[in-house]
Amino acid sequence: MATLDQKSPNVLLQSLCCRITGKSEAEVAHQFQYAVRVIGSNYAPTIERDEFLVSEKIKKECNRVRHTHSHTFFSFFSYKVLDSNTSIIIKHVGNYGALFAQALPRDAHSTPFYCTRPQSLALGYGERSAALSASVGTSGISSLGVYTLNGPTATPQSLLAGQPPQSAAGGGQPLGSRLAWALPVSCSPSSALAPLATRPALGPPVPSSRVVRPRRDGEVSEAALVRDILYVFQGIDGKFIKMSAQDNCYKIDSKVVLCKSLRDTSSRLAELGWLHNKVRKYTDARSLDRAFGLVGQSFCASLHQELKEYYRLLSVLHSQLQVEDEQGVIVCSESTLTLRRLLVWMYDPKSRLKTLAALVDFCQGRKGGELASAVHSYGKTGDPQMRALVQHILSLVSHPILNFLYRWIYDGELEDTYHEFFVASDPNVKTDRLWHDKYSLRKSMIPSFITMDQARKVLLIGKSINFLHQVCHDRTPPGKITPASKSADTPKDAAELLSDLEGAFQEKIDAAYFDTSKYLLDVLNRNYLLLEHLQAMRRYLLLGQGDFIRHLMDLLKPELVRPATTLYQHNLTGILETAVRATNAQYDNAEILKRLDVRLLEVSPGDTGWDVFSLDYHVDGPIATVFTRECMGHYLRVFNFLWRAKRMEYTLTDIWKGQMCNAKLLKTMPELSGVLHQCHILASEMVHFIHQMQYYITFEVLECSWDELWNRVQQAQDLDHIIAAHDMFLDSVISRCLLDNNSRSLLTQLRAIFDQIIEFQSAQDSLYRSALEELALRLQFEEKKQQREDEGQWGVTAEQVAEEKKRIQEFQDTIPKMRSQLRILTHFYQSIVQQFLVLLMTSTDESLRFLSFRLDFNEHYRAREPRLRASLGTNWGRRPSNI
Amino acid sequence: MASAANTNLNAVRETMDVLLEISRLLNTGLDMESLSICVRLCEQGINPEALSAVIKELRKASETLKASENCTN
Repeated sequence: MATLDQKSPNVLLQSLCCRITGKSEAEVAHQFQYAVRVIGSNYAPTIERDEFLVSEKIKKECNRVRHTHSHTFFSFFSYKVLDSNTSIIIKHVGNYGALFAQALPRDAHSTPFYCTRPQSLALGYGERSAALSASVGTSGISSLGVYTLNGPTATPQSLLAGQPPQSAAGGGQPLGSRLAWALPVSCSPSSALAPLATRPALGPPVPSSRVVRPRRDGEVSEAALVRDILYVFQGIDGKFIKMSAQDNCYKIDSKVVLCKSLRDTSSRLAELGWLHNKVRKYTDARSLDRAFGLVGQSFCASLHQELKEYYRLLSVLHSQLQVEDEQGVIVCSESTLTLRRLLVWMYDPKSRLKTLAALVDFCQGRKGGELASAVHSYGKTGDPQMRALVQHILSLVSHPILNFLYRWIYDGELEDTYHEFFVASDPNVKTDRLWHDKYSLRKSMIPSFITMDQARKVLLIGKSINFLHQVCHDRTPPGKITPASKSADTPKDAAELLSDLEGAFQEKIDAAYFDTSKYLLDVLNRNYLLLEHLQAMRRYLLLGQGDFIRHLMDLLKPELVRPATTLYQHNLTGILETAVRATNAQYDNAEILKRLDVRLLEVSPGDTGWDVFSLDYHVDGPIATVFTRECMGHYLRVFNFLWRAKRMEYTLTDIWKGQMCNAKLLKTMPELSGVLHQCHILASEMVHFIHQMQYYITFEVLECSWDELWNRVQQAQDLDHIIAAHDMFLDSVISRCLLDNNSRSLLTQLRAIFDQIIEFQSAQDSLYRSALEELALRLQFEEKKQQREDEGQWGVTAEQVAEEKKRIQEFQDTIPKMRSQLRILTHFYQSIVQQFLVLLMTSTDESLRFLSFRLDFNEHYRAREPRLRASLGTNWGRRPSNI
Repeated sequence: MASAANTNLNAVRETMDVLLEISRLLNTGLDMESLSICVRLCEQGINPEALSAVIKELRKASETLKASENCTN
């Protein structure tokens, strides 16, 4: 063989021709030339680079000619070829394959009948063919062994004797191992067992990798079980292992004869089928459900992906099984499928499927944000594989939610057909209630990886953007409000975001929140003068602008004493305008002044103008979000209260004025002095009371609350803060002005006091009228007397004097009536005030208790009212029980 | 050195054995020597397809020759 190496191609070719034709060199000249010509002409070799393809091709050909046994051996030898380290083989096997492939179709009949072989080899081939028909497998190997050791010439006798000579130690070993490979364990080529048994001395003891167990009759073999199991893995009932519906598990038919270990192993493996079914059922059911939503669909998609991987594994196993089937002989011990091997290989997929099945169970019936929360809760596990799997699914599942979120906070758009996002929009709400009612949080849909605070902020951001667009008609692109940032376009972004929820996500939301809210507040303050309106409310509705209110009251006084039915709105509006123009209010913003208006409340019978008059302030547009209808109602109630109190003050001023003026005049009537004194006292009591009340209202209630409100509004970060601060302001004002439900008794007391004051005013008026009349008459009398004296007559006649005296007497008789009336009035007034004080002392509000101190600073009432004598300490914190 | 050559030789021999078996399975009718000649020729760059065509042609020729010989005999 070595000598052949150095020969040139021509020489080789010639010797080839000699061999094939069996002629001597001289005779093959003609053929040789032909050969040279053919070879020289053909330049482009079609070399199959892939030996696998070649071997597959060849196998197919063998199949075609039904040379069943030979092609298994071909596969065997292909393995051998591929396993070997000789690089030459691997390089050129394609060529050889081409050689063989070319040769094959022509020589498609089996060896025994091919008789045109060169004579020198016929014997060898003939012997071989004889041996072939007996048992294919082993004879080939032994002939191989023969050729290895004895060269090309056949020694037929050594075929059957088969003891490999010891000359090539290396040769013996591969022979033995080859025999081992040839050991058939599977059922199909069981006939090969027999000849092997007849060669007991063949080679060294076979290192079998398999224990051939003695089998019982009719017992199912492991390979059949393996086949079944592979079907069960996909959820299809196998021959022996079927799904039993009532136990909801895969059971092996009890009729089947099976040893216990195999039964156990296959039961363990069948669990995978059960898990697979569970997951599959879920995905199938959900894919039909149209209202499942985007989150659910992505969940199903991720489950599908996992199942695809699983199926891939199954197909690999299947192909493995097929390979074994085709060979009929187990080639390498490492690649056979047994139940044990399956157990080990399917361990990882089993844990994955278990996780998926658990997820499926847990997520039954959930959708949207709930689903994401469920998946997220499963991510809290110590097992890193499970965690990775769940994280992966979570990133896919939360991707739609994050998409929603980004669209919402950057564009203010909400396209949520399946109600999966945690911000819900109510389509029935119109724009005036947009801020309060239109958008709300769907708490069930908040995923567990988003905190409540974040969710609220998100809601607020989107609300602000929508508010800007619809109510303020400000369509600045969101890029101006918040710097544009890329949304979660891919699930990878979502995964990144999820891994850093505390940091990046929070930052994004915070940034969007600050920018949007600031912009919104800017717009409101700049374009809609929110703060100015707030101040205007204070000035007009809460009687902040003193000079204006005073002037208005002055002007309105003659109008409002008339009964309410005679009042006309336009008259009053005209008066309002006059008042505005005459005072500092005229310098106010025109925007504010045009909203100021008069409103006439509902008229009940017996009402004077005082009872129905009210100021009003029109709000619309974005301002109405802060000053809602309820707020305006509150404002009107407070205005009413304040207006009444102011009226009392006004009344008492009038009384005092009257008193001051008339005191001097009526000095000449000493009999009136007692009555007048009483009047004065009562008036001063009333003045003191009202004074204290006004102080309380103005300073303790209004100013303090206003200050707090103003601070809050200046520091407010978003519109919600402003609305909340404003509402709190109104609430505190109302409760402190005794207008809420708890202080109803106090309020009625106060009203009673006010009524008393008015009665007193009317009483005093009538008193003064009669007194002044009397005074005027007396003066007249004196004047007449004087005049008559001047004329030289008697100043007064007797009957005139008598008349005068009678009149004076009459007048003086009315005085006690007046006095008693006043006394009653005083008494009544004082009792009311005492009751009021008692109620104040037991009230829960501290400032009211202090008011009671101020009202009764000199314990004037305390002396009269025993209940007031109880020290404040005993009433501290005590519930107002029956007092 | 000798052992290396030995192992090399063994490897080569093994390879040749395998090839021979493959060729036997495929019923090419090539014996060891012819096969080794073919291997050398292929290694030296001869187109295998052409080579196989040549071999077939030679066989056919020898066949016809034999047939004619038999007939004349």
